[in-house]
Amino acid sequence: MSEPAARLIAPWTEWERRHTKGRRLLEAGTFALTEGAIAAGCRVFAGYPITPATDIAEYMSKRLPQVGGYYMQAEDELAGMHMCAGASLGGLKAMTATSGPGYTLMHDAYGWAITNEIPLVVVDAMRVGPISGITGAPGQGEFYIARYASHGGNFETIVLSPSSVQEAFWLTIDAFNLAERFGTPVTILTDQVVSDMWEDLFIPDDYTELDFVVPRKANLTMPFFPVGSDAIDVPPNIIGRGTGVCVSAYTHTEEGYDIEEMEAQWAQTHRLINKIRHHRSELTRYETVGTDDADVVAVAYGADARTVKTAVLEARARGLRAGFVRPITLWPFLDELFAADRHYVVCELNYDGQLVREVMRAAPDSRKVHFMGKSAELHTVSEVVAALEGVAQTGRIPELPYIWTEVR
Amino acid sequence: MALFKAEKKAPKGPAGRWDVLVAEDMCKACGFCLQVCPVDVFAWRSTANKLGWLPMIVAHEENCVGCMLCYQICPDFCIAVTVKAGLEEGAAR
Amino acid sequence: MNPLAKKYLRPSQIPTKACHGCGIGMIENWLLQAIDELGLKQEDVVFGTGIGCVGRQTFATWGGDNFGATHGRALAVATGVKLAQPERRILVVVGDGDAASIGTSHLIHAARRNLGVTVICEDNMGYESTGGQFSPTTPAGYVTNSSPYGMVEPSFDPCDVVKAAGATFVAETTATQWHQTVKVVKKALQNEGFSFVHVRFPCNENFGAYALGTRDTLKNLEWIYEHTQGRKADGSATDFTWETGIKHDASNSRPEFTRLLRDMNARVQADLAKKTAAKA
Repeated sequence: MSEPAARLIAPWTEWERRHTKGRRLLEAGTFALTEGAIAAGCRVFAGYPITPATDIAEYMSKRLPQVGGYYMQAEDELAGMHMCAGASLGGLKAMTATSGPGYTLMHDAYGWAITNEIPLVVVDAMRVGPISGITGAPGQGEFYIARYASHGGNFETIVLSPSSVQEAFWLTIDAFNLAERFGTPVTILTDQVVSDMWEDLFIPDDYTELDFVVPRKANLTMPFFPVGSDAIDVPPNIIGRGTGVCVSAYTHTEEGYDIEEMEAQWAQTHRLINKIRHHRSELTRYETVGTDDADVVAVAYGADARTVKTAVLEARARGLRAGFVRPITLWPFLDELFAADRHYVVCELNYDGQLVREVMRAAPDSRKVHFMGKSAELHTVSEVVAALEGVAQTGRIPELPYIWTEVR
Repeated sequence: MALFKAEKKAPKGPAGRWDVLVAEDMCKACGFCLQVCPVDVFAWRSTANKLGWLPMIVAHEENCVGCMLCYQICPDFCIAVTVKAGLEEGAAR
Repeated sequence: MNPLAKKYLRPSQIPTKACHGCGIGMIENWLLQAIDELGLKQEDVVFGTGIGCVGRQTFATWGGDNFGATHGRALAVATGVKLAQPERRILVVVGDGDAASIGTSHLIHAARRNLGVTVICEDNMGYESTGGQFSPTTPAGYVTNSSPYGMVEPSFDPCDVVKAAGATFVAETTATQWHQTVKVVKKALQNEGFSFVHVRFPCNENFGAYALGTRDTLKNLEWIYEHTQGRKADGSATDFTWETGIKHDASNSRPEFTRLLRDMNARVQADLAKKTAAKA
């Protein structure tokens, strides 16, 4: 069989080609995430140590003073995220990093940042839940929470997920760029494996030469909130320059003060949702292998995608027309990746089924979408191969130990 | 000892040197200025303002001795008490 | 209208949403006097607030830059703003709910760090915006919307909490102490570190209705006056007296928090430059 076509759609493929002066290191994902942030111009980190994101806090505490930035160890994640929002409002690019238990605490601040169009980057290194769960194992239980990262509805979110240490470096810069362009917090969903594993990492020598970094600009005039517009690349507001901007928790006017009217809610929501929905093409990042001629496609993201991709290649070698889809942009969800009428085997690190529900919604026949849930360990190559072959031959995933196939 | 004295008396000091202005459409009729004023500058208006309250008006500006209690106690930024044009602050006291 | 309101406030947001006779507007008048007497311009001050009566009724009244954080988190946001804009005076105006209940953790840590902000905790002794439930500063035994048999929980004074946490300026006044409040806020603003001014004020609509049995604005302000003086109009003693005045003044005695960070950065970068030069 011919080599299956491999496709990677992401802005960093071009960045990597153009920027080759640097050094190669053996480093962990947390290191890559930190350096990516510094390269993107991040100058404030405010967070609370939590496994497996703690190393990011430690690296930041070392790196930020070196570049004139500030490391804040907040009293809790709630404070940390609010501090990041305040710092970003004051004109500094800011980031926080946490795991599930801390991410949940950030939802109040996340909504505040969304409604006030404050650029921020939030790393959630997922682990097994619920709650503290297993601290030292990878999980993917915040897929929906990252989409609905605050209460009240009436917003869209941007969520990305890397699956290697090198990708974590570039993707973090991308996340900062998207935060600036769309005026919103961006969540990077990683997991314990991507965060803690050590891999080959290339880092450019001179961050000032990275011409693809979107710089921080400042909006000094009305309207502070162009409600009713879906425009992106609108400079963020700044507090402390005497512009008279109002930043609050309420549904607001163009000036930013509260207004309790349906028309105002419509206009504000039109902006918050459509600035993302109407520019989906700027947000599309994914990887596929062999999808041109596949009968059964395995779907996975993050660290789990590593073993799943290997399984797809193994299945191919065994004669099965298998394909692989790895969404890198998780939200807005890339429906178009599932438009073809064929079988999908969705591998994710949770037992309740989250990504699989979106694939069921997007695919033409939800009966051909099969759930392969696992928790606390990555899917093994052999079990994914068994699942792909089972679906190809019988239309069902066979009984496999500790694999959950029910979706309700 | 009460904050609002029932008995008004004329304190020592010259009256009539002060401009007193009440923004009647901002007044919420709390009554503080009327009650705290020692010399009966204020009175209630008999018609409602834009907010729906019967606001305070300046009834006897000539009584004002510039104690500024009304200015300090108004919760709605309604009151301005300034030395009449042409007089220095020292001369008015 | 009040000339300072013309100078500093946002015309479209006054008259405020506050109830008639509410102390919030009075205190804001005194804050403006303090700001004006210090010669500060509108662009020099960032006004931060939270949720609740003090949050909602003050937010956006300030004509300059202002933020209304989520409930209890004004100080966390202020910390971030101060990092990015250390030259600005940050005035955080919050209620007893924001400061002494949901946001007390951030209050303690901002005081501990000696963050360069001035916190005005305007205390109407209950959660009045939601109808008048008790708060950690409601006097013991008082009847409120959620303590119909009398408040059983002991209350505390947030001044004690911030002083213990390391605040470098702590003061308390009430809504019948206009001159003292202006003086104290001026001192608070002149402390480069963490200043806390606690001002108790009347709420006629809720606290007055449930705890005092009257919505009469004059009677509610008299109640504040009595408990400031420690004596009722007839000369008898009140059930308790608030201790007002400057409780702790160590202004400018230790470095402001963001200055510590900037100094550290300077040292780190100087070290780095030396190492790079040595390698070259």
